[in-house]
Amino acid sequence: MTDTLLLRSLGLIIVAAAAVFLLSRRLHVPSIVAYIVTGLLLGPATGLLTISEAIEIISEVGIVLLLFLVGLELSLDKIRDVGKVAIYAGLGQVVFTAAGGLGISVLLGFSLIESIFLATALTFSSTVVVVKLLTQKEELDSLYGRISVGIFLVQDLVVIVILTLLAGLGSAGEVDLRSVGVGVASAFGGMALLLTIALVAGRYVLPPVFAWIAGSLEGLFIWSLSWCFLFVVGAELLHLSIEIGAFIAGISLAQLPYSHELRRRVNPLMNFFIAVFFTTLGLRMEFGAALDAWLPSIVLSLFVLIGNPIIFMWIISRLGYGERTSFLTSVTVAQISEFSFIFATMGVATGLIGDEILSIVALVGLVTISVSAYMILYNHGLYELMHGSWILRRFGAPQDEDDEPVEKPMRGHVIVVGLNSLGLRLVRELTERGETVLAIDTDPAKLAGIEGPTILGSADHSSVLEDANVKDAKLVVSALQIEDINNLLAYRCRAAGIPVSIHAFDRSVVQELREIGANHLMIPKNHGVRRMLDALRERGLVDS
Amino acid sequence: MTAIAILLAGAAVALGLARWLRLPSVPFLLVAGLLVNVLGLMPERELLEDTLQLGLAFLLFAAGTELNPRRVGSKRSAAVRVGLAQFGVLGAIGFAGVYMLGAPLQEAIYLALALAASSTLLVVRLLQQRRQMFEPFGRLVLGVLLMQDMLVILLLPVLTGLPEGIGETLQGLAGTAVLVVGVLVWVSWVAPLFVLRMRLDDEGLLLVTLATLFIFIGAAVWLGLPMIAGAFLAGVALSGFPVNGIVRGQLASLSDFFLAIFLTALGGLIEIPDAGDLLIAVALIAIVVLVTPPLVTVIAEAAGMSARAAIESGLLLAQTSEFSLVIALQGWSIGHVREEVLTIVAIVTMVTMFLTPFIATNRMTWRLMSLHPLRSRHGLAQPRSGHMLLLGCGDTGMPILETLVTAGHEVVVVDDDPAVIEALRDGEIPCIRGDGSDFDVLRMAGAEQAAVIISTMRRPRDSLHLLTRVRDIPVLVRVFDEEDARRIRQHGGIPISYADAAADDFLAWLEQATEFGLTEERRQRPRE
Repeated sequence: MTDTLLLRSLGLIIVAAAAVFLLSRRLHVPSIVAYIVTGLLLGPATGLLTISEAIEIISEVGIVLLLFLVGLELSLDKIRDVGKVAIYAGLGQVVFTAAGGLGISVLLGFSLIESIFLATALTFSSTVVVVKLLTQKEELDSLYGRISVGIFLVQDLVVIVILTLLAGLGSAGEVDLRSVGVGVASAFGGMALLLTIALVAGRYVLPPVFAWIAGSLEGLFIWSLSWCFLFVVGAELLHLSIEIGAFIAGISLAQLPYSHELRRRVNPLMNFFIAVFFTTLGLRMEFGAALDAWLPSIVLSLFVLIGNPIIFMWIISRLGYGERTSFLTSVTVAQISEFSFIFATMGVATGLIGDEILSIVALVGLVTISVSAYMILYNHGLYELMHGSWILRRFGAPQDEDDEPVEKPMRGHVIVVGLNSLGLRLVRELTERGETVLAIDTDPAKLAGIEGPTILGSADHSSVLEDANVKDAKLVVSALQIEDINNLLAYRCRAAGIPVSIHAFDRSVVQELREIGANHLMIPKNHGVRRMLDALRERGLVDS
Repeated sequence: MTAIAILLAGAAVALGLARWLRLPSVPFLLVAGLLVNVLGLMPERELLEDTLQLGLAFLLFAAGTELNPRRVGSKRSAAVRVGLAQFGVLGAIGFAGVYMLGAPLQEAIYLALALAASSTLLVVRLLQQRRQMFEPFGRLVLGVLLMQDMLVILLLPVLTGLPEGIGETLQGLAGTAVLVVGVLVWVSWVAPLFVLRMRLDDEGLLLVTLATLFIFIGAAVWLGLPMIAGAFLAGVALSGFPVNGIVRGQLASLSDFFLAIFLTALGGLIEIPDAGDLLIAVALIAIVVLVTPPLVTVIAEAAGMSARAAIESGLLLAQTSEFSLVIALQGWSIGHVREEVLTIVAIVTMVTMFLTPFIATNRMTWRLMSLHPLRSRHGLAQPRSGHMLLLGCGDTGMPILETLVTAGHEVVVVDDDPAVIEALRDGEIPCIRGDGSDFDVLRMAGAEQAAVIISTMRRPRDSLHLLTRVRDIPVLVRVFDEEDARRIRQHGGIPISYADAAADDFLAWLEQATEFGLTEERRQRPRE
């Protein structure tokens, strides 16, 4: 155990990533790009780091957690209504991009087999990149976000089909149609099986079981992760991708009342693992021959960056979606995927293509992922820029906006944290006084008794406070008897300029709360004495 | 993937069982790992060791961020004395015992160190569950744990350096000193800059947090210190307020995840011990369970704690720690001890942690109280009747006493804090030092003859105990929870709700604040 290779590699990745992230903050570089640059710096540029097996596993866990999160966010109802567009657009894009890529490659002078590999590599867009960016933007839930996720799922299935094809190609030298057919059928059969298990369990088994464990948030967290990895292993056994397994596991938990809190907890874990994933993406890139092949690399990159969205614009606007939605969805597919690298590497391994193709794929990957990350991050601005221009008009998409339910954030509300006897009374009294009261607690059972709006979660998580829209609250009150959380809450409210009243349940917590500057401390003893005396007076034990 | 799935599934089963039985989860996680191993499902060694390394780093990192001397409050000096004494005496006894049973010198030292620390993870959880963090004994126990954690981290470099000679040992100490300076710099400048002033998003915060961890680990390894010393000190570097709270939001789920699979993986390393090792394990368990309570009780009382608080502290500290596992793991990883030592420590930790909730009970406390030689104290100078009896004269009781005395009532006070008693004697208030739920004390205070009893004791259970004895006298009890109020009422007491009292306080302020205009106040303050 003296071997600290893993810690050393992880340390290098994290420290370098943090440095790149902090240095590039001014440039508004998307974190993904920062990670890939980190990978480039550590790998191709300096050779400080090579990918070990453990790092490989960690980056895979990153993908699993990311897709699990996506599943948690999107219950089945939310993707059902984008099913049609996802299938049409997903399949249509595969066909058109593959055809276009093949044509361009042949024109650029590549051999037919090389062109087939290049075209296939260009076809896939990266689920992980897009989903990560949409999660970051909190737009996974929007119409275009859901369509994108649907398209990626369809593409994922196509990948599996192609993999089976490739396996047939590699062994026999010619395509065995029967085994391909079996492969495709088993892929769809497997997916149907997992989905059925997930939905039946999500309907009948999980709600009571998770309601029992949810009293302990740590238990809930570990149980959910186990559930997720169970599906991942199941997916692997059925020769499906781990992404699909994790996604389905997420969907089955999405309708539970704790899915929101679960997402909050999985998110930091995912961020850690996914950072490793994107860094290895940079590490993996080998540019050996790409400098000689800069022209085809640039042409192919432009095809992906511009051609792909155009194909999509055309398909999606044909399906009756508005111009904005079509545009935003189309922008998400303008990159190739991490799978493209794996695919090209496999091609090199079988000896069908040379290193040159691999380098081109790497360069195209770097360019398209980086540029499209910016495009996705600033997609709304990009749309405003293009809106009304002749380019978009040519697609003839309806100009009216697709209606999306917009949740209005609360304003002028009073937030009560902790539903113990004090918290319950405060909620009651404040409601009676006509205030809008939002209650926060970690115990779903306690929240169940509240009529007004509630949030499940711990008030020391910044995202809980964001969900509660603290910055527009009128007042924050904490009835909690937990010193650390009270202090942090008081600090955050002061920093946001929101009045805050904290339950000072013990003499020892008073001083620090005063230093932090809580506007008011609920000190029970003052009125406690009065209540004691009232009780004594009632019984004639003291004079009135 | 399969490996992680198996470890997680084992952890999930363990956490489920622990929740079902309402027992601490650590022993269950270890047993789950053991079972996974017995079933032959444990992943390959290399992966297991990677998991352990990462788990160790996060365990110590998280422990470091929780290091908050403020929590100890006024019990700091008592905590230092009790902590040092327990650490020293238990370590010495353990060392002698194991050495006599025939263990090699080096192993005996590691085992002794493993024996000396009590579990922060377990005790904090229990104190939280029982809402005793803020009782004097809770503060003391927290201080003792903090003290011991620091001792382990400081001694570990010495221990790992010692066999290499005195030079290595000194170098280890010097390295630790360098890191501690780094921690100070980090706490005062670096952490506030990156965590507070830069206003990073969650992802950036996480990166900065983890970069801190790895920078300190790197520095520790470079200085020739164990990796875990770096991880712990990295945590300490982020333990200042409010940095610690902000960091915890990001770190909590990571450490939950890694702790669960760390303990499960560790359980997988436990092997069936031979008779000799088993004997050592049993001897160590006996030492921890039998020596710790009396030892801590004696020192804590000498340091000014009341008898009951001292006994409760002793009972609660009678287990070995997750740090014990860390020590054993460290010794094994650098080849100082055999793998069997890891097994011994794991067994001791598993058993003692499992026993703690059964040992540290109210019933056990009272049983020991009755054995306590110094319990009977002086009664009142003259027997009283028709007086008001106030049980507990702390922050809550004192204003009640003042009001009643000012109004000319005759009040007798029972409290177990020597400082309070002294102050009362100076004010010539009749008082008894002792526990308000102790029947002997109640008899001496003339409880049966009192006109009314007012209990401000912290634990509702104590007041319920009192109600089983006292009848036909109105008993006013300070309670917070509605549930406790109901139970007090059921037993014939009169609950006075301090939750309502706190709400009164809030509502009074709200009236005032509305007059000033809450909204107006906000407008005046600059918004960020």
